[in-house]
Amino acid sequence: MSLISRRPRPPAAAAEPQERATFKSPVLPWLFLLPTFIILAVFLYYPAVRTLRLSLYRANIILGNETFEGLGQFAELLSSPVYHQVILQTLIYCALVVMLGLLLAMGLAWLASRPIAGAKFYRLMLIYPYALSPAIAGTIWLFLFNPEIGVINNVLSSLIGVRPRWLDNPLLAFGLVVLAAIWKGLGYNVVFYLAAIQNIPGEVSEAAAIDGATGWQAYWKVIFPLLSPMTFFLVFTNLIYALFDSFGLVDILTRGGPVYGQTGITTFLIYQLYEDGFRNFKTGVAAAEAVLMLIMVGVITVMQFRYGNRRVHYGA
Amino acid sequence: MIVMLALGSAAQLAQAQTTIEFWHTFGDAKRGGWIQDRADEFNKLHPDLKVVPAFKGGDNELISATILSARQGNPPAISQIFEGGSQLALDSGVFQPVSAIKNVDFSDYIKPVINFYTIGGKVNSLPFNSSSPVLYYNKTLMKKAGLNPLRPPTTFGALLSDCKKIQAANIGASCFGMSINGWFIENWLAEQGQTILNNDNGRSGRATTSNLESAAAKTIFNFFKTLQDNKYYSYTGKLEDYDGSDAIFNNQKVVFHITSTSKIGNNSDAAKRAGFSLGVARLPIPDNTKRNGVVLGGASLWIAKNLSKEKAEGALDFALYMTNTKNMASWHQLTGYYPVRQSSINLLKEQGWFAKAPLQLVAFNQQTDTVASPATAGALNGAGPETRKITEQALQKVLNGTPVNDALSEAKARADAALADYNANFK
Repeated sequence: MSLISRRPRPPAAAAEPQERATFKSPVLPWLFLLPTFIILAVFLYYPAVRTLRLSLYRANIILGNETFEGLGQFAELLSSPVYHQVILQTLIYCALVVMLGLLLAMGLAWLASRPIAGAKFYRLMLIYPYALSPAIAGTIWLFLFNPEIGVINNVLSSLIGVRPRWLDNPLLAFGLVVLAAIWKGLGYNVVFYLAAIQNIPGEVSEAAAIDGATGWQAYWKVIFPLLSPMTFFLVFTNLIYALFDSFGLVDILTRGGPVYGQTGITTFLIYQLYEDGFRNFKTGVAAAEAVLMLIMVGVITVMQFRYGNRRVHYGA
Repeated sequence: MIVMLALGSAAQLAQAQTTIEFWHTFGDAKRGGWIQDRADEFNKLHPDLKVVPAFKGGDNELISATILSARQGNPPAISQIFEGGSQLALDSGVFQPVSAIKNVDFSDYIKPVINFYTIGGKVNSLPFNSSSPVLYYNKTLMKKAGLNPLRPPTTFGALLSDCKKIQAANIGASCFGMSINGWFIENWLAEQGQTILNNDNGRSGRATTSNLESAAAKTIFNFFKTLQDNKYYSYTGKLEDYDGSDAIFNNQKVVFHITSTSKIGNNSDAAKRAGFSLGVARLPIPDNTKRNGVVLGGASLWIAKNLSKEKAEGALDFALYMTNTKNMASWHQLTGYYPVRQSSINLLKEQGWFAKAPLQLVAFNQQTDTVASPATAGALNGAGPETRKITEQALQKVLNGTPVNDALSEAKARADAALADYNANFK
């Protein structure tokens, strides 16, 4: 900032044509923004304020009662061992989905961008899972991994004679949901990485090749850093995906189970919120959970922009 | 011009009519279509009334939607509410007891069914789709294992000894598979004459504690522990996975299976396709227990409060028409749900239906033999969905190795806390 202010101001006349292109009336720009504001206010701000208010009340949507509890519901949630476990498993789940998902997508996008026969077909196939709705994806996985009649176990038992209990062994079920979520998000990530890779100028790779870099070195030392702005963006969108979009998959595939410790091991924050709000009708508690999730997303975003940004290489 | 005239006269006609909205949970063409057909017939008979049935999603969505529209002053006249939501519907204060609208003779309704919906001496809602759990068995596999398919197990002990023979016969199928669902546990408690909740299942006063540590509950959980320890049992691993457990049974991976009577139609079709002979028997119960009967699950029709007299009466008239003798019999034949009227059962007998569909007879006997008591009347539980899940998680813990007593005492503590939390809404 100080650098800019020390610069000599350009002569007013030079800036005039640009600055003149303003609205004559101060009302007009607001008028143009109004439709957006109305939509935001009705569908985002108003519900958000209502949620904030509701989180301070004990409320049951069916009974229609509201009793002021202050921060009581937050205190109860934050001291509940069940909720602790839900937070912990959500964090582990998010970390796994984001890290493994992005690594895999980056590698696959790199491979699919190579000039090989059938590259277009591979690209299409990689993008395809993204077109499925979470409900369909969940149903497909559910039938694949049915322990008695699923295709996976039929193959495994005829090859190596094992029939893993995918949906009631806590570790396997957790891994399965992570895997399904990564698979489901893969298409989205691959599309973005493919676009980013295609935007990298060919000279960069050529220069690396001329300098004697191996394929592996060229990837890690040249391409990977050049993709970092895209990675930075995808880390954030994937985090939001893992936090909020896990609902459909979990509901169909495991219904939050199997039980492990205090609660189901695939009961993540958003699923817990659904259960409390729409199954148990504890509207106030669900609102408090929504507020806690909002705070969490806020903290993660701030941290990401503060620390994650340092490693991002925006190129020349 | 003609179109406009036609529209105008249609609008005039609509104004003269009383519109009766009916929200239900049947999104499939088969059952939703049946309801629409009944509405069309009824509308033809009553030109001043217009019943408009609409599919409104699952149980929870429907009750939420009804309550919210009632708060805005425009509820559907008739809502189909699941049995577990009865206490919630009652506490919401947006419905009126059907017996208060006008005098109806309820004596034709089967006792245990009408009992479920009779609260404080008033019939709150009209029974509609009602079912209970039964044993499904694969006769072909039973024969293969050297068992007599004419004698399916009726007790836990008999089931376990059949399991032993099935395991020894090595027929490439496990003995027993069913989904884990609190509803089955509730039925096994009822069979033993044990209420699930105190205060007569929440009927003589608000329930405050659960009976999950009772001897009856331990018997059920120990049965599952024995099944699991001997590797007699298999399920998909997901709780309340009706479809998954049906698929395991229909692919002949288990010999015995338990699920709702409303699945008799679908499972018979699947058995035909898979080429095995299907049997249906009463729900097996603990040894040396007098059979008290089952809790009849399903849903009932609730009528909103603050409707005009003609609208309320019209709504009740349609509900009674849809559940009349002939219609309940045809509903049963289509879906496998119980016809909730004695006269419908008589009609079906006269038509020789049970000779054509012998599997349905078992379900009937199980229903009509049920002894009326607070246990078989079923629980009124405002925290129903939550306590059901707690019970299911406890059973899954036992299957994963937790001792029965530990799992049940933890489940009881949690269920009691859930009840206390619900009751705190009324302080």
